[in-house]
Amino acid sequence: MSHAMNNDKLNKHFWVWPIACYLFLGGLGGGILFFAGLFDLIFAPMFGTSIGSVFALGVFLGVVALGVGTFLLVFELGQPFVFLRVFLSKTAIIKWGAVLLSVALIFGFVYFLFYLPPEWNLFYYGWTWIRDICCAVMMITGICVVLYTGVLLSSFKARAFWNTPVLPVLFTVSALSTASALLAVTAGLWPAPEYLILGGFAALPMHDLAEYFVEIMHLIDTVLVAVEIVVLLVYVVMMYAAGNNTARAMALKWLKGAYAPLFWGGMVLLGLLLPLFFYLSGGVLASIIAPIFVLAAGLLLRFMVVFSDVRRPIPGEERFYSRLPKGDERFLSANDCKSH
Amino acid sequence: MTRYAMVMDQRRCIGCQSCTVACRTWNDLPMDIMFNPVVSEGVQGVYPNVHQVFTPLICMHCDNPPCTICCPTNASQQDEDGIVWVDSTKCMGCKVCVNACPYGARDVSALDPFLKSFVRKCDFCKDRVREGEQPYCVATCHQKARIFGDLDDPNSEVSKLVGGLAVTTIFPELGTEPQVYYIPDLGGAK
Amino acid sequence: MSETIDIHAPGVEVKKSCCYFCHQNCGVLAYVKDGKVLKIEGDPSHPTNQGGLCTRGNIALLHLDHPDRINYPLKRAGEKGSNQWERISWDQAISEIAEKLNQIKAESGAEAVATAGGTLRTEDWARRRFMNMFGSPNGFHNALLCWIPTFMVETAVSGWSPFETDLADSRCVILWGFNPGASGMPSMRGYSDLKKNGLKIIVVDPRYSETAAHADLWLPLRPGSDTALALAMIHVVIYEGLANMEFVNNWCIGYEELAQHVAQYSPEWAAEHTWLEPELIRQAARIYAKSSPSNIQWGCTADQLGKTAGAGMHARAVLRAITGNLDCPGGDLMPGPAMNYVTDEELEANEWLPEEQKAKQIGADKFKLCSWPGYQLISDICKETWGKAPTAEWMCEAHGPSVFKAILTGDPYQIRALLVSATNPVNSYGDAKMTLEALKRVEFMVTCEYWMTPAALYSDYVMPIAGALERPTIHNNYGVTDSLLASQRAIQPLYERKTDYEFWRLLALASGQDEDQWPWETLEEVFYYVTYSFTSLGYQFNSYDEFVEKYRFYYPPLHYYKYGNNGFCTPSRRVELKSSILEELGYPSLPTWIGPAENEIDDPELAEEYPLVLTTGGGFMPYHHSEQFNISPLRFLRHDPYFTINPIKAKELHIKDGDWCWIETRRGRMKQRANVEPSVHEKVIYAQRGWWYPENGPEGDAPYGCLESNVNMLSSVDDEHCDPIGGSWANRGLLCKVYKVKYGDEPDIQFSIPGSSKVPGVTVMPSDQRLAYELIPYNPLPTFEVPEGLTWDKGTKIAWDLERGLAYDPDSGWLYDPETSVFFDLETRFAYDPETETLVDEAGTHYDMTTKQPLGDITPAVADVEGGE
Ligand SMILES: Nc1nc2c(c(=O)[nH]1)N[C@H]1C(S)=C(S)[C@@H](COP(=O)(O)OP(=O)(O)OC[C@H]3O[C@@H](n4cnc5c(=O)[nH]c(N)nc54)[C@H](O)[C@@H]3O)O[C@H]1N2
Ligand SMILES: Nc1nc2c(c(=O)[nH]1)N[C@H]1C(S)=C(S)[C@@H](COP(=O)(O)OP(=O)(O)OC[C@H]3O[C@@H](n4cnc5c(=O)[nH]c(N)nc54)[C@H](O)[C@@H]3O)O[C@H]1N2
Ligand code: SF4
Ligand code: SF4
Ligand code: SF4
Ligand code: SF4
Ligand code: SF4
Ligand SMILES: [Mo]
Repeated sequence: MSHAMNNDKLNKHFWVWPIACYLFLGGLGGGILFFAGLFDLIFAPMFGTSIGSVFALGVFLGVVALGVGTFLLVFELGQPFVFLRVFLSKTAIIKWGAVLLSVALIFGFVYFLFYLPPEWNLFYYGWTWIRDICCAVMMITGICVVLYTGVLLSSFKARAFWNTPVLPVLFTVSALSTASALLAVTAGLWPAPEYLILGGFAALPMHDLAEYFVEIMHLIDTVLVAVEIVVLLVYVVMMYAAGNNTARAMALKWLKGAYAPLFWGGMVLLGLLLPLFFYLSGGVLASIIAPIFVLAAGLLLRFMVVFSDVRRPIPGEERFYSRLPKGDERFLSANDCKSH
Repeated sequence: MTRYAMVMDQRRCIGCQSCTVACRTWNDLPMDIMFNPVVSEGVQGVYPNVHQVFTPLICMHCDNPPCTICCPTNASQQDEDGIVWVDSTKCMGCKVCVNACPYGARDVSALDPFLKSFVRKCDFCKDRVREGEQPYCVATCHQKARIFGDLDDPNSEVSKLVGGLAVTTIFPELGTEPQVYYIPDLGGAK
Repeated sequence: MSETIDIHAPGVEVKKSCCYFCHQNCGVLAYVKDGKVLKIEGDPSHPTNQGGLCTRGNIALLHLDHPDRINYPLKRAGEKGSNQWERISWDQAISEIAEKLNQIKAESGAEAVATAGGTLRTEDWARRRFMNMFGSPNGFHNALLCWIPTFMVETAVSGWSPFETDLADSRCVILWGFNPGASGMPSMRGYSDLKKNGLKIIVVDPRYSETAAHADLWLPLRPGSDTALALAMIHVVIYEGLANMEFVNNWCIGYEELAQHVAQYSPEWAAEHTWLEPELIRQAARIYAKSSPSNIQWGCTADQLGKTAGAGMHARAVLRAITGNLDCPGGDLMPGPAMNYVTDEELEANEWLPEEQKAKQIGADKFKLCSWPGYQLISDICKETWGKAPTAEWMCEAHGPSVFKAILTGDPYQIRALLVSATNPVNSYGDAKMTLEALKRVEFMVTCEYWMTPAALYSDYVMPIAGALERPTIHNNYGVTDSLLASQRAIQPLYERKTDYEFWRLLALASGQDEDQWPWETLEEVFYYVTYSFTSLGYQFNSYDEFVEKYRFYYPPLHYYKYGNNGFCTPSRRVELKSSILEELGYPSLPTWIGPAENEIDDPELAEEYPLVLTTGGGFMPYHHSEQFNISPLRFLRHDPYFTINPIKAKELHIKDGDWCWIETRRGRMKQRANVEPSVHEKVIYAQRGWWYPENGPEGDAPYGCLESNVNMLSSVDDEHCDPIGGSWANRGLLCKVYKVKYGDEPDIQFSIPGSSKVPGVTVMPSDQRLAYELIPYNPLPTFEVPEGLTWDKGTKIAWDLERGLAYDPDSGWLYDPETSVFFDLETRFAYDPETETLVDEAGTHYDMTTKQPLGDITPAVADVEGGE
C-alpha cells in the first residue's frame, strides 16, 4: 500500500482523471445533443428532416461520449450496484447529474436510431413525433448536462477554486465550443438514409447541406472560442483578485506557477487563440485542425480545473502535512505497517 | 434532545498528538488515515517574544453539514444527536462528500481509482458515547484539552464553556455551523 | 477494533496493569480473555493519569506482540554483530552465561563484570542484588543524567532530596529545565489545573517549550548557564533581605559564609553567562522568595550540564533552604525512605559487597558523590536517622562512560563482561562513537531487551524480556519515596519472555548464589513481601494481586516539618548550606561557579570555530528516548529528526526549513533536518535526542543507522567535562556549528578518547585525564581534643587506640571496644565491669573507679561511675 500513500491531505486530489474525462465527455455529449436537438427541431422544417443526417455521426459520438462519461462516473464514483442508490437520493447534486445524463443518453440513442439504415430501423419512419420529442428532450437535457458539469464543481464551497458562478459559465461555453467543433468535423460523414430525404429544401443535396451547416458551426464556434477566452481570463483573474488566499495561490499557480505552461501555452495559445486564428483563416485549418485543438483544449481545461481542488488550510495544516511521510520512507515497509 | 459537541481548550493542548494515535488505535485506522490530527503553525513571533497554539482537529459535526446533503447514497448521514457518520455498507466511495467538507475531516484509504474504497471519518465514537462513555480521544487526553458533552444539557461542561467563554469555531463564515468549539489560547509567556 | 470486541462478554477479565513507557506509570485497564489482551484503556480511577494515555500508552498492544520483538533466548551464531543467531532454551542460555561469568571472576576478579542500565524501567534492585553477591561494584546506569546527582547533592545538603512538591498549597513553582508539556503528560495537566487556581509558574528553559508556553514568567537563558542563574538568585535573596531568617537561624548552618561567598554572584555578573537581563533574574528571585510557600521542581537539565551541574544542584538546594521552603506546607517536601514497606535498598543486599570490592568501583576515585565514597557517608547518616538508606542501585554506581573507556583501554583495569539491561547505550549514553566501539570490543556481552538494538546486535546472548503488560510493577521513584503505585500483570509473558527479575534470579542461582537468598520465585512474591507490612496498617490482602485489585496505591499522610524532632538527616542535623559531605569528598563546600563544559567565555578560541550553543536535551513526543522508532503509527507522526534553529541564523547560513544539516562539535557530526522556528535564541541550536533508524538494518559499521542522526555523538564524556561531584556528563550547553549536508558527505564513525573528531583513537589514558577542577584534599579535624596516645582517623572521624582497637568517646571520656561495647578507662586501659562497678585488668584484678587502686575484696559499688578523668 505504501506506493499509493498520500498523506498530504491538503494537496491530495480525491477526484482524478476519470472525473476530468467525465466532465469533458459530459459537456461534449450534452452540447452535441443540445445542438442536434436545436437544429433538428428548429431548422428541420426549413431544410427537411434530412438535416439530422448531417450531424448523425456527431450525435452518435455524443451518445458515445455520454456513455463513456457515465461509465467513468460509475467507475470512479463507486460500485455499480451501490451506484443505483444515487437515484434514490433527494438532495445530492450528483443525482441530478446522473438523472440528466441517463435521460439524455436514452433519448439521444433513440434519436440516433432514426438514422440507421431502414433494415435495422426499429421505428416507422413516419413517427416523426418521436423524433421531435427526442429533439426537445435532447435539447433541454443536453444543455442541463452542460450546465451541470460546471455547477457540480462550483457547488463545493470547500474548494476555493471551484466555488464560483463563473465556473459553470466557463464550462458551458467550453462544452458548447467542443460540441460544435466535433459536429463540424463530423458533419455529413454519416450516410443519410434515403427515406428521410423528403420535402422542404429537399432539393438541396446532402453535400451542400453539410457545408452550409459546417459554416454555421464554425461561426458559432468562433464566437464561443472568443467568448471562452474572455470567460477564462475573467475566471482566473477573478480568482486572483477577488478570491481568498487559497484561490489566489491557485490562480498564481495557473498564471505563474506550475500550471502556467499548461495555462498559457496549452489553454490560451494552442487551445483558444490558435483555433480562433484558424477559424478566421478558413480552409483545412478551420475545418479540421481548429476543431481538434478546441477539443483538446476542452479536455485540458477539465483536467486543470479538477486538479485545482484546493481547500483552504486550517492554520497549521500545511506545516503538519508537509512533515508527514511521503510514502517511500523505508520504515513504512516495516513489518507492523504491512498488517494494515 | 441531545446535541453532542466538543470543546477544544487550546490553553491546555500541548500538541502531544496522543489523541491522534489513540483514535488510530481505537478505530484500527490504516496508516494514511487520521481522523484527528493536531496542527500548529509552529512558534510565531520574534524570540523571545513568541507564541504557539495547537489546534486539535476533528470532524466538526456541523449543524449544517455540506457533506451529508451531497451524498448520493445517503451513506453520509446525521443523527438526531448531531453525530455525522458514514454507513460504510452504503457508501460507494464517490468522494463527493470529501470534496464538500471544508475541514478535511474525511478521507478514503485507497486513492487508486481501480480499488474499491469508502469514505472514513470521525463518528464522535458514537458507540462509546451512546453507552455513556467519552469519545476515546477525549478520554485519552491527559491534558483534558478535549471536552465532550451535550450542548442541550445546560449543566454539561460543554454548554457552560460554550455559553460562558469567548469560544470560536473554524471557518464560521461558511455557514456549516461547526459544533466543535475552540477556546483560544491568547496568552503566552512574558 | 472497538466494534468487534465486547469487553463485557463473559470470560473477559479486567486487569489493573500499567504503562511503563515512561516513569509516570499511568494506570491501564487491560481487558483479558484466555490469556490474550483484547483491549486496553487508561484507568479512569488511577491517581496519575485519570484515564489518560499518551501516544506511547496507546500503542501498548502493538508493542506487546510486535513482529520485531525478541521472543526467545538468542545465542550468537556468527561473528559479533553479524546478526546470526541460534535459538536456545533459557536453561542453556543461563547456564552458559553463568559459567562464563564465573570463569571471568576466577581469572580477573568479579569487578571485571559490569552491568549497564538506562533509566528506571524495571526491577533494578534485583540486578544490584545479583552484583553485590557476585562481588562486583561495577553496575551503572545513565542515571547520572537523570536526577541521581540531584538527589545526592540535595540529600547531602538537606538530608533528603526535597523532591515532593506540595503544589496544592503552593503559590509559585519554578520549572527548572523541565518540560512536562512533552516529558510528563499527567503532571502537565496538574500544572494547568493549578495555574488556573492561581499558581505562578516560572519556567527556566532556553527554548520556548510546550511548558514555557504556559508560564507566567519565562527565563530564556543560555543553555548550560543554569548554575549562574541559581547563584545570582541566591545573591538577590540574600542581599535584598528576602531570606527567611527564622528558618535560617534555627535550621541552617553556613549562612554567613554563604552570604560572603555569593556576594560576587550578582545578577549583573550572571547576565554575561546567562544572557538574561539582570532585572529579569531579580524579578524571578523576588517572585520565588516572596511567594513562599513556593517550589523548585527538578528538571532533567540539572543533571546534564556536565562540569557545572553539581554546583547548580547545590545552589538550588540552598535557594530552597534560605527561603524557608523545605518540608513546610506548600513547600518542597522530603519524604525520606519508606517506613511502611520494604525499600529497594533493603532488597539489594549491599552488605554482601566486600569493602575491598567497593574500593574497586570504576570512577569512584574521581566522581565521588554518587559512588561508594559519597553514598557511604550519606547512607550511614540515613541509617542512623531512619534505619533505612536510599537505594544503592542508581545512587551508588560505577561511572558508566569510564567503564566503556576501561573496556577500550584496560585502564584502570580490563572490564571483560557487560550485562546490558533496559538501555540502548549507543543512543542514550554520551559520546556514542566511543560507546559503540566499547560494545563491539567487550569480550562478553549479554543484553536483556525487547528489540534488536545496536547493543543487542553485538551481544553473545540476547534475552527476551517481558513488558509492562506481562509483569507486575511497583513504582516508587527509584525507591526513595514513601508512597507507591502498584500494578498487576495483565497476562503471563508471551512466547519465552521472562521478567528482568527472573533473569537476575536465574543467573544468580546458576552462578552459585544461595537459593535462600533468592526465595521469591516471581515478582508477585517479592511484591507481596514488599507490601506485606501494610497489613499492619489495616489493609487486608493475601497476595500482591489482591493488594492491587483492592488498593492499587499507597500514599501516607503528608508529614510536614519532619526535621522538628531530630533535625535534618545531615552530619550536623542542620541544613548544611556549607556542605560538610561535599567538603569531605573534596568538593567546594559552598556552591561555586564553574562554566558549562564548553563556553565562549572560558574558551573563546573554540567558540570561534564552533560559534553556536548546542543543547542535546529535551524529551519530545511521541518518543521515549530511543524507543518506539520502530513503531510505525508513532514514527508516522515524526519520521525524520529535526533540530531547531532561529530563522535569523538560518537565513544567515542559507538553511531552509526541512534542509538536512550537519551539526558538528569537537567530537563529531551528525545530521538532522532544520526546523526553522524562533523558539530558540539566534545563537542556540536545539537538537533532538534518541534517533536511530531500526529500519535500516544491521549491516555496516554503524548498524541501524545508529550514528546518522544520533545527538550523543556530539555530547562529551571527557573527564574534564564531567561534573566532578556527581559525574554527569555534558549534554547541554556545548559549542557547535551547523551547515548543510552536501551530496557525497561521509558519515562520521571514528571513535576517540578523549572525544575528538580530528584525532581518532586513544590519545590520553583515562587515568591521566583531569577533572574540571582538582579535588580539594580534606582533613576533617576532630571537634574535641584528642587525648595523648590516641590517633585521629579522618575516615571514621574517631580517635583510636590503634594498639588495642579501642575507640574514644569524647562525650564520656571513655574508650570502648566497638565490637564488644565494653568500656575502658582512658588512663589505665582497664575495663569497666558494670556488675561490680569497678575496673578490671587483663589478669582479672579489680581496681577502684576513682582511685584506680587495686581492691582486695569485691564489694558492690556505690561509687558514681560517671567521670573518667
Ligand atoms: N543527549 C541526550 N542524551 C540523553 C538525554 C538527553 O536529554 N540528551 N536524556 C538522558 C536520560 S534523562 C535518560 S533517563 C537516558 C535514557 O537512556 P535509556 O534508558 O538507555 O533509554 P533508551 O535509549 O530508550 O533505552 C532503553 C532500552 O531499554 C529497553 N527496555 C525498556 N523496558 C525494558 C525492560 O523492562 N527491561 C529490559 N530489559 N529492557 C527494557 C528498550 O527497548 C530500550 O531499548 O538517556 C539519557 N540520554
Ligand atoms: N516524550 C518523552 N517523555 C519523557 C522522556 C522522553 O524521552 N520522551 N524521558 C523521560 C525521562 S527518563 C526523563 S528524565 C524526563 C525528563 O524530562 P524533563 O525533566 O522535562 O527534561 P528534558 O525533557 O530532557 O528537558 C527539559 C527542558 O530542558 C530544556 N533545556 C535544554 N537545555 C537546557 C539548559 O541548558 N538549561 C535549561 N534550564 N533548560 C534546558 C529543553 O529545552 C527542555 O524543554 O522525561 C521523561 N519523559
Ligand atoms: S491529547 Fe490532548 S493535549 Fe495532546 S494533542 Fe490531543 S488534545 Fe492536545
Ligand atoms: S466537518 Fe466536514 S465531515 Fe464533519 S460534519 Fe462538517 S462538513 Fe461534514
Ligand atoms: S463517498 Fe460515500 S459517503 Fe461520501 S458522498 Fe459518496 S457515497 Fe456518500
Ligand atoms: S471522537 Fe472517536 S472517532 Fe472521533 S476523533 Fe475522537 S476517537 Fe476518533
Ligand atoms: S508513556 Fe504516556 S501513557 Fe505511558 S506512563 Fe508515560 S505518560 Fe503515561
Ligand atoms: Mo531520564
